[in-house]
Amino acid sequence: MESTALKFQIKEPKGLSPRIAWLRDYYFSGVDRAWNNEFTPWTTGTPWDVQYDEISFYIVPETYPFLQTFRSSMHQLARPVKLDPAFWSWTLQERRAWFVREVMVNHVPQELLPGDLVAGSRFNLQASRCWTKNEAAARDRLIYGKKGARAFMKWFHDHGYGNAGATSGHLIPGYERALTAGWKGIHEDLKAHYEALGESDRKGEKGAQLRAMMTAATMPRDLAAKYASLCRRLAQKEITPSRREELAQMAANLDRVPWEPATNFWEAVQSLWITHMLVMSDENYPGPGVSFGRLDQYLFPYWERSISGGMDREFGKEILKCFWIHANTAYDAMIRVGGNQGITAGFGQLFNLSGMGPGGRDMTNELTYALLEVIDEMTPILEPKPNVRLHANTPDKLLDKVIDMISSSQGAPFLLNFDERSMAGMMREAGSAGVESLITAENVYDYASVGCLENTMVGNDRSGTVDCNLNLLKAVELAFTGGKDLVPVIDFMSGKPGKITQDGPATGDATKFRTWEEFWNAYVIQTRFLVKKCVELYEASERVRAEFSPTPYLSTLVKGCAQKALDVTRGGPELNFVTIEGVTFGTTVDSLLAVKYLVFDKKECTMAQLIQALRDNWQGHDVLQAKAKYRAPKYGRDDDEADALATKVMDLWTAETWKYRTISTGRQFRPGMLSWNYWVGDGYVLAASPDGRPKGQFLSNAICPSNGADTNGPTANANSVGKAMGGRAADGKGDWKDYLSSLPNGASHTITFNPSLLRDPEHRGKFKAFIKGYIANGGSALQVNMIDADMLREAQKHPQNYRHLLVRITGYNAYFTSIGRELQDEIIARESHNKY
Amino acid sequence: MKRLQNLNTNIGTTTATVLNIQRMSTEDGPGLRTTVFFKGCGLRCAWCHNPESISPYPEVQWLEARCIGCGTCVKACPLGAVAADGRGIHIDRSLCDGCGACARECPATAMELLGEEWSMDRLVAEVVKDRSYILNSDGGGITASGGDPLVQAPFVAEFFRRCREEGFHTALDTCGFIGTPSLERVMPHTDLVLFDLKLSDGAGHKLHTGHSNSKILENLVHVRDYIESHERPELWIRTPVIPGATDTEENIAALAHVIEGLLNGAVSRWELCAFNNLCRDKYRRLGIEWEYRDAQLLDAALMERLANVARDSVTRPEIVRWSGATAGEQAAGDGQREKKTAATHLVKGCG
Ligand code: SF4
Ligand code: SF4
Repeated sequence: MESTALKFQIKEPKGLSPRIAWLRDYYFSGVDRAWNNEFTPWTTGTPWDVQYDEISFYIVPETYPFLQTFRSSMHQLARPVKLDPAFWSWTLQERRAWFVREVMVNHVPQELLPGDLVAGSRFNLQASRCWTKNEAAARDRLIYGKKGARAFMKWFHDHGYGNAGATSGHLIPGYERALTAGWKGIHEDLKAHYEALGESDRKGEKGAQLRAMMTAATMPRDLAAKYASLCRRLAQKEITPSRREELAQMAANLDRVPWEPATNFWEAVQSLWITHMLVMSDENYPGPGVSFGRLDQYLFPYWERSISGGMDREFGKEILKCFWIHANTAYDAMIRVGGNQGITAGFGQLFNLSGMGPGGRDMTNELTYALLEVIDEMTPILEPKPNVRLHANTPDKLLDKVIDMISSSQGAPFLLNFDERSMAGMMREAGSAGVESLITAENVYDYASVGCLENTMVGNDRSGTVDCNLNLLKAVELAFTGGKDLVPVIDFMSGKPGKITQDGPATGDATKFRTWEEFWNAYVIQTRFLVKKCVELYEASERVRAEFSPTPYLSTLVKGCAQKALDVTRGGPELNFVTIEGVTFGTTVDSLLAVKYLVFDKKECTMAQLIQALRDNWQGHDVLQAKAKYRAPKYGRDDDEADALATKVMDLWTAETWKYRTISTGRQFRPGMLSWNYWVGDGYVLAASPDGRPKGQFLSNAICPSNGADTNGPTANANSVGKAMGGRAADGKGDWKDYLSSLPNGASHTITFNPSLLRDPEHRGKFKAFIKGYIANGGSALQVNMIDADMLREAQKHPQNYRHLLVRITGYNAYFTSIGRELQDEIIARESHNKY
Repeated sequence: MKRLQNLNTNIGTTTATVLNIQRMSTEDGPGLRTTVFFKGCGLRCAWCHNPESISPYPEVQWLEARCIGCGTCVKACPLGAVAADGRGIHIDRSLCDGCGACARECPATAMELLGEEWSMDRLVAEVVKDRSYILNSDGGGITASGGDPLVQAPFVAEFFRRCREEGFHTALDTCGFIGTPSLERVMPHTDLVLFDLKLSDGAGHKLHTGHSNSKILENLVHVRDYIESHERPELWIRTPVIPGATDTEENIAALAHVIEGLLNGAVSRWELCAFNNLCRDKYRRLGIEWEYRDAQLLDAALMERLANVARDSVTRPEIVRWSGATAGEQAAGDGQREKKTAATHLVKGCG
């Protein structure tokens, strides 16, 4: 008999009203639900029609084997939509705008769950891409051709370089404008832009784009009207007077918003939700990284107005809790795929709380605390994901609340973002990309985070924050071989090793290098090659998306698109970036340190011996491997010499990144460090590394030191991370004040602590000091895990008891029981290692 | 000869033999601290949690888990003190002089030299690295612990002076068994004394620690007098609660009597620290038979009872705290729930 007793306390929701408790339980009943938000596919009825756009999934290697299956099954299941007679005479963006609106308003059913206070339920769509036969064929050639995007992407991944693809989501739309101006205002503005066009522009691409955007801008209005009548119908049938009243009020709200500007808190949340969910409909992409920005700032005027107008504070929170449930239904998209009802990693509909305002003022307000209460009462739950912005002037009251929540939730139910370092990164971006007029010392505090922690500006910025993921370690491998794979790639189908070819620049025979500098120079050249290759791979899908997959609705919410009459996918936004996320940073630095130490400084072995050990995957080279693992210096120990090399590696690859723009869309590349789960999977792809890691072992995660390398504890770890990002300028002239940052996107940093650290108020005070020290010394974002290894082992044994146990790595948050065994073991190993 | 040289360098102010430096320490005084563990201690407490800190000399230990069995250490030892057999590596302590050659050669850092020479400048440079964390905490600073740091008093006095120059609070963690001049030397640079009081009964003290407590009490009085004339440092008393040795109500009550009678008002905190058996491995590695090898963790209920005895016996019960891992529920300190601490390296605190 297996024991089912719960040995460890995990965070439970608390203080939920019957309404919210029901909605939450209903949500977690998953596949058993009568209602869900599964993808519904829709077609124009042509035989060449496509719904599933694989490009968005090029950054998810797990999906590679299924791309074809998804495409054909969506196509088979798709229901036909009766087209406007003129449909095929329109431009692609007009067809697409019309089709998505038509499906959302007239085909997808409008429903409301019992007790729900926010309307807007089904939004996960696989809508026709609306291509003509010629368009579909032209696109297929670019994707499937011998030199097409898919083959290039596969090559890049299989050879351990990483991945890249033009991905949806991952930006903060200008939601505030939808609240303040209403869609009516947005529509009028579009119209003004259209009317300002000259005759020929109006007939051309620009006119088409603005017409498509105008069509899209009416979608929220028409959909709200449908939901308003639904609420009225339900009100008529409703027997409970209080609920009848609520439904009547919801109908009245929907009569106004989102078309008109919101006038109170309920309307504002309603307007925000419909505006937001339609972004996911428009992109056919559920959730990932479509983020809200500074929710506690732009909702605050409505909150204040409603509270002073008599709204019960708890009712305000109740509205927010309904909003929370809605955000989670994004996961329903693939509810019948996989073991955990489609819920795997967090999708990252992120929002920020608190943070700096003008003049360094702290912006914490009453709504900040109300939102924290909502999180606390709803947790564990995945969406929307909170990210609390901290800085030197964060009030102790907020820090205390945050630490209290960390102590009761197996780690923070949120990420922490650090303003000073983050703003330094944004200011660096302004200078490096020549956008000083758009990101200034006076507005930089208005930055916000996307997805997990990727910093961008708001409402005018698409920075493709997860689009390129580059394994920096590959350059070390190529420096050994002079530009060739160290070990052949085994063909997946035949099981045979492939041919090794000269892929990178021929940097010479490493066994002939006499100095460390020669090796470093080879590494520099290979890194340049790596970045260039990544840029080329990105272009392969970026140009396809730009030509064939417009998102006119999203374009209406991003400043620059209307002004330039250019879709967001074509470079419309004022701030137009693609982020290369440097993956394997710690492993790369440690590998370089090991080469220097073993071959040049201590002469423990020759270069040839080291290369042989790597080819042999360290098998039979125990002594050398031990020296690499234990004696060579490591990044993450606050060892100034080792960290100096980390900074050098950082400076090199980030400088390379700034050199490029996309050809098709003119987007500037910028650097960041986030590794999602690639550090796990690519550990099986990349050859053994000189830091003693065999192939098959995980790589380092984001900007974190390699697993187990941080032997001097969390403060040393944090200091190393801060130094790698640039540290503080000795002369006071940093990017923002004296803070420096090479990574505008920011970097993900996770530290796991033992829960005993927060056992009483005195110790919570000590932890607060750590956080304050981190503000001064550390990186841009921190994920705190408060979990002990015993609890995780227990959860492995009895997953049924720990379904809601959340763990967070990199802001990649996931239910522990839903992730693979390997990653589970890795997390346990990390925690067991941890002494704190 | 070698040992004497080592010892001689230890009593100067330029270098010290340091066992370990723990950053972000949360258990050695107020706030966040960097704790420097100095080697050497005059007492021989049977339960000692840090046996590797007792000897003032460098010692080597073998960490089985890291060892790859390469045999390098056997060849490296100039005195033939290391041997390998099917079960692992054995160090003949009667031959070893702590030269560290084996540890320097071991590829896997499985042979570890405990006790490294640190220069003053290097040590100061190391502890200032956590300035931002320490100075942001309430009363945070630097703790000298051990062993008994007073074994290397001249160095510690100068080290503390430098730390305070850097703006850090200083805490001296001592067992009090040392010549009074050593204590006198460090006191002017100390903001907090963490003073171990184990047993009130002199004979019992001798039985369990190798020495009577008269010197310790004498030093305690010295600390009291110093506080009375200088209005600092602060004084915390720490009592290890050890099964069969210090864990009786009588002992706690008698210690309370010392605190009340002798120290009257000078003590701002009295911590009872539950016995910890996590150091079992350390004894094994050092090749020492440990009397407490099979001793179990104490019950939380017992700790609570003793804490109540302590509270009942002092005028200001709020100064009494208890902490540490306990058996069963692993409930802990001051009625808060706690998981057993995973700190296996240096178990700090009482004794
Ligand atoms: S420390 Fe020196 S004497 Fe002792 S075992 Fe090692 S090499 Fe031999
Ligand atoms: S040198 Fe180190 S790894 Fe080799 S046998 Fe000795 S202790 Fe083990």
